[in-house]
Amino acid sequence: MKRRVITLLMVAAGFGLQAIAYLFLAAPLGIPSAVRFSNPRVPFAPALFILGVILVFLAGVVYELMPDRAGRSTGEG
Amino acid sequence: MAEQIATLPYGVGRASARWKLLVAFLAGIAILGWYGWYLEIRRGMIVTGLRNIGPMGGATWGFDVGFVVYWAGVSFAGITMAAVIRIAKLRQLRPIARMAEALTVVALILATFAIMYDLGQPFRGIINLFRYARPQSPFFGTFTLVISGYLFASAVYLYLDGRRDAAICARTPGRLQWFHRLWAAGYRDTPLERERHERAGFWLAVAIVPLLVTANATLGFVFGLQVGRPGWYSALQAPAFVLLAGVSGIGMLIGIAAVVRRTVADGERLSDDVFRWLGNALMFLLLGYLYFMVVELLTNVYTGSEREREVTAALLSGRYAWIYWGSVALFVIPLALLIVRYFRRGGGLATLVASGIMVNLAAIGKRFLIVVPSQTHGTLLPYGTGSYVPTWVEWAEMAGLFAFGALLLALFAKLFPIMPIGERDDA
Repeated sequence: MKRRVITLLMVAAGFGLQAIAYLFLAAPLGIPSAVRFSNPRVPFAPALFILGVILVFLAGVVYELMPDRAGRSTGEG
Repeated sequence: MAEQIATLPYGVGRASARWKLLVAFLAGIAILGWYGWYLEIRRGMIVTGLRNIGPMGGATWGFDVGFVVYWAGVSFAGITMAAVIRIAKLRQLRPIARMAEALTVVALILATFAIMYDLGQPFRGIINLFRYARPQSPFFGTFTLVISGYLFASAVYLYLDGRRDAAICARTPGRLQWFHRLWAAGYRDTPLERERHERAGFWLAVAIVPLLVTANATLGFVFGLQVGRPGWYSALQAPAFVLLAGVSGIGMLIGIAAVVRRTVADGERLSDDVFRWLGNALMFLLLGYLYFMVVELLTNVYTGSEREREVTAALLSGRYAWIYWGSVALFVIPLALLIVRYFRRGGGLATLVASGIMVNLAAIGKRFLIVVPSQTHGTLLPYGTGSYVPTWVEWAEMAGLFAFGALLLALFAKLFPIMPIGERDDA
């Protein structure tokens, strides 16, 4: 259960970070009619978006590599 | 674990004199390419054939950007094949899954190099992309998302898919045992671990497919959304990019699979069925791409603007005609061969490999034609036509990339099984 919860949390955090970076941290959406449309509202907002993508796929690694509970030869799915 | 092996499979860990010679040759060409890049960084873009559009009568995007698009396309087909094999449970194609995954990772590394070759200040450029890029822009999707997100996702997929084989190889004592142990990361192939791996692999494959379609479509949007650039502005660019990506990638995969079948012990696991499937996939993708080409050509010739027609004329009968018609021939000849092969239900492997090589040459030609003529002949400002001729530095860089890619794949094949070991019971 713990494995699934951590994995799902990572996936949710990854997609959440992508959405937040895209909608609220990067340059504003809309027709670029002013300078403010050129720069992100928070520096490195695009990097945060990428971090979100990476987090989603990293969840797969955590899901597979997370050690089983001590004393059990097989883990739970 | 079911499998126990006395020696590492598929020639892993064993390097013949011929293989060493090949590696030295490829390394030499790769170093020549990096020397070209060194000259570019030291002396500036003047060592390339790139010049400003308009007043300098040149093209600012040339070989490098053409090959970014080409390598990203090759990567697309690799991971698509691997994902489709898993999602659709195409058991007979499992032997090519690993090489398809490796091809994707290698092709994306080469695309990264090609981008850096194009940037006059590569490191400043990379930092600024992560700092200032607009996620809404196709440039972000192409140059940032492809290289970071897509490369990372493909590497994760390759890593997880290889754990079982790493665990099997780790049981064989030798110099590579530590490496295989590290890769296996405690994997023991218990039923629950297998089930977990199948589940994770399936969802990773499902997640990768939209990412790679987005990544390759945005490559098309980089060109297709430029309304002021006749020859580029077209709704067909994005889907055509995806189709041509499939064509070049499957062509490349056919070549790699043929080399593996011929050179690797047990290579006959790559059965005629595998090649038949690849050949048919290539044929249908080619048909689709040629349809797109014809539609685009007819639209431009029939109702294109004056500037649009100028670009088209340069392609059909002007400076770029030999590349255009050469590419068309290199698409049509393999298509004819593949159709004959399809109806005969078989045919020689040589024909298929030749088709794979031809479509890749054609794809390189088409990528060049997508990138360059619209810059030299498609300006809306009152400038004359321009020209772009790549210098030896650019030729060396691109040859270096091909050699580096082949080198990475050759090294990978000696470090890790290039095909999955055995068949899974639950496949």
